[in-house]
Amino acid sequence: MERHGYLLRKIAHAFATLLFVLTFNFFLFRVLPGDPVGILARSERLTPTDIAALRAQYGLDQPLPRQYVIYLENTATGKFGESLRSGAQVSTLIGSRVWPTVLLVGLGTIASTIVGVMVGIRGAWTRGSLYDRTTLYGAMVFYAMPEGWLGMLLLILFAGTLHWFPAGGYASADTVGFDRILDVANHLFLPCLTLALGYVGSYSIVMRSSLLEVMNEDFVHTARAKGVSDRDVRRHHAVPNAILPTATLIFLSFGFVIGGAIVIETVFSWPGIGLLTYDAIRQLDYPVIQAVFLLSSGTVILANLFTDVIYGYLDPRVRAS
Amino acid sequence: MRVRRWIGTALACFLLLLNVNLVAGAQSPSSSGDVVLRVGVVSDLITANPFAVSAGSDWTVATTEYDMMLKFSNQDLSPVPSLATGCTHTTDYMTWTCTLRKGLKWSDGVPLTSADVAFSYRFIIDHKIPQYRSYFVSNPVFETPNATTLIWKADAPTFALNMPPWAYIVPEHIWSKYNGADLKTIKAVPNVPTVASGPFVLTSWKRGQGWTMTRNPNFWGTPPIVDRIEYSLYTNQESMVQALKNGEIDIADGLTPGLFKSVSASPNVTGQQVVSDWWLNLAFNFGGQGPNADPLPALHDLVVRKAIEMAINKQAIVDKVYQGTAQPGDTIIRQASTYWHLDIPASQEIPYAPAGAIKLLTDAGYVDTNGDGIREDPKTGQELRLRIPASQDTTGAVDSGQLIAGFLKVIGIAVDLQPVTDAKMNDFWAAGNFDAYIWYWSGDPDPNYQLFVFTSAQCGAWEDGCWKDPKFDALYQAQSTTMGRAARLKIVQQAQLEAYNQIPSVVLAYPSWLEAYRNDQFTGWTPAPGAKGYLLPTYNYDTLLSIHPVVGASGSSSPSLPPAAWIVLVIVVAIALAGVLRRRRTADDEA
Repeated sequence: MERHGYLLRKIAHAFATLLFVLTFNFFLFRVLPGDPVGILARSERLTPTDIAALRAQYGLDQPLPRQYVIYLENTATGKFGESLRSGAQVSTLIGSRVWPTVLLVGLGTIASTIVGVMVGIRGAWTRGSLYDRTTLYGAMVFYAMPEGWLGMLLLILFAGTLHWFPAGGYASADTVGFDRILDVANHLFLPCLTLALGYVGSYSIVMRSSLLEVMNEDFVHTARAKGVSDRDVRRHHAVPNAILPTATLIFLSFGFVIGGAIVIETVFSWPGIGLLTYDAIRQLDYPVIQAVFLLSSGTVILANLFTDVIYGYLDPRVRAS
Repeated sequence: MRVRRWIGTALACFLLLLNVNLVAGAQSPSSSGDVVLRVGVVSDLITANPFAVSAGSDWTVATTEYDMMLKFSNQDLSPVPSLATGCTHTTDYMTWTCTLRKGLKWSDGVPLTSADVAFSYRFIIDHKIPQYRSYFVSNPVFETPNATTLIWKADAPTFALNMPPWAYIVPEHIWSKYNGADLKTIKAVPNVPTVASGPFVLTSWKRGQGWTMTRNPNFWGTPPIVDRIEYSLYTNQESMVQALKNGEIDIADGLTPGLFKSVSASPNVTGQQVVSDWWLNLAFNFGGQGPNADPLPALHDLVVRKAIEMAINKQAIVDKVYQGTAQPGDTIIRQASTYWHLDIPASQEIPYAPAGAIKLLTDAGYVDTNGDGIREDPKTGQELRLRIPASQDTTGAVDSGQLIAGFLKVIGIAVDLQPVTDAKMNDFWAAGNFDAYIWYWSGDPDPNYQLFVFTSAQCGAWEDGCWKDPKFDALYQAQSTTMGRAARLKIVQQAQLEAYNQIPSVVLAYPSWLEAYRNDQFTGWTPAPGAKGYLLPTYNYDTLLSIHPVVGASGSSSPSLPPAAWIVLVIVVAIALAGVLRRRRTADDEA
């Protein structure tokens, strides 16, 4: 009963947050200055009469509460509408951007998780060694380095100077089949490396400090006193107890996978959700902004829920509190 | 055993990555034998619909795909034959008869006739398509006595066909189903794959990535040598430049001044500084847009406006903001309209003379009465402090505003510069709650539209700040009813001079569009207008008909890691894995 209650409470919290986000999304972007139709006045030569007519056709002349109700109805039925800028279906626009973002941020997160955790564990276990000092300082440098700057450095070095990798984009235009998979991988390497290097820093630092705390616990000393091998102490006693903060960080990071990585996507011209969001905000494309933010917020909420639930089961004290 | 499995997996992954880079790098996108032009752009294609075009790449694609009845010449953008071999007019200029080429076809093989031309024009008029409707004044009606003749009848004399109308001819058999639809529905038509008559048609398009245009087998003109044009979108100028240096693209379109300078100095790269087709504008507000319009009354005084113009060092804006890739501005008709643009004679130019500006203001009674460094208006006592929004989305607007604030401080005028997005600029424009703003104007090759937006009737609509000048209005009317091109030119020049002298706005600069291309890949570009024109389709597509690969061109290819570097990497990784394996064995032994 206690387990079910905990789960239900967390689901209820997630649902309430999602409802709040749904409402917040609608009103937040309408606070931005400007008129989404009027913004096209010069480029499309719209007169005030044209602007008024188009506002009516897009339903933007309706009172805000009425627009909100329509927005709720459309969202509930899975209709995100059409982009004010391009006329394309919002679901189509988002659909074309989700995969590149998942590929980039997902792979980058997985790679950095594996490397970051391993580096952190070994650093803590060999505390004070050359390896520890080198990886710690390295992690801090990558953690503190602006990812846009790091990306630009890698771009200039590996694409512009050495010509080893493409300077940007998702794939060459005319590749198909297996060639296309290889081509995408070739384009993916630099942005993925940039993202992974940034994440590795944070994961390894958190893992290292967490493990250092655990290493001084009585149960670790007891295990050592009982003659358990160094490797088994680390694997079966220390790391499982130290992994919780890192696990939280990792699960939360996966929540941001859909949100994209705006800076890295911009540096490497990677056609992901982040760029779509940036363009939509600049152009006041309400339907696109709302849908993208709802999707990214929903993913973060889900990741939080997953983390809460997992954490509760990994550490019963959390569930009880 | 488990450790060995892990190492085996890691090696397999590494070899896969090796394969990825080697294969991807070795493949040549031109390996099919096709001649492919690769273009890097920074502006995404937003729509392939000619009735919804808005941003730069939309126009590029539409101009490549669709023909106009008459097109712009490469020399000075005057009208020359396109689908029509020519048009004649009656002596009263109210009836024009145009003759189309015989045997025209759409890309899907359907014949293209005068009925398609009449349909396209009627569609624009009936649906009030904003981008094109201004060409169809005096209630024109269109007759098609046969497949190659279009008769345009207006109820007043018109020079519309001499502009010529920048209106694309679309296939009636595709677009007639949208007759009667509202503008929102028409704008939402995807129009892919496209049926058109130009040399290339859009065949694939991935939003956020790029698009491909393929040669139209039914094109009526000389077939282009290029088989395919592949556009790649770069959201970062630096990466586009690196791609050009890498040989991943053949031409980069829309560079920033700083990168243009550096890439133009690279081996095998040639830069093209295109004659300007827009101008940076410091527009004064005179009020009258609505109840919230509250500009500084002193701006109605020509002395104040002239002093401001004299205090602004336009050459400094050109040098510092645009790094020399612009020209100092003078009149409201951009330089690309070479036939119509008036280069103000030196004797009539308002000079850059801060000392003269100070004297003008002082003599007119604008003096600093309270010693705070800012002059006051003798009539109202208000200090000369200008609220100047500047568009963040217009290249150089904010930087120019910062320079202008410094220039005007010297003559005792304060500036509150407000960098804002175009969305907010639009709010200012409509409400009139500003004293001056820094934005842009562009226009057509023909000056009619650009003069029109400065007429008194456009207050609250197109006019920047509700400037009202009866003399300018009369000149606009006179040019719009003068049919002879040479006679019209004189009136247009008078109108430019009137605006220049009355200073409703200070034309700050004519910034250039910047392109750079690999001179070891393609040659034979046909710029328009003139030798310093656009290399890529902007006013017409002729450049795509003339370009051809340089003899011995290697073709573009994806970059790859050199084999020697891979060998070194393999050895390093193998050593590292061997080290891990040895440590783990030792640990197992200790256990």
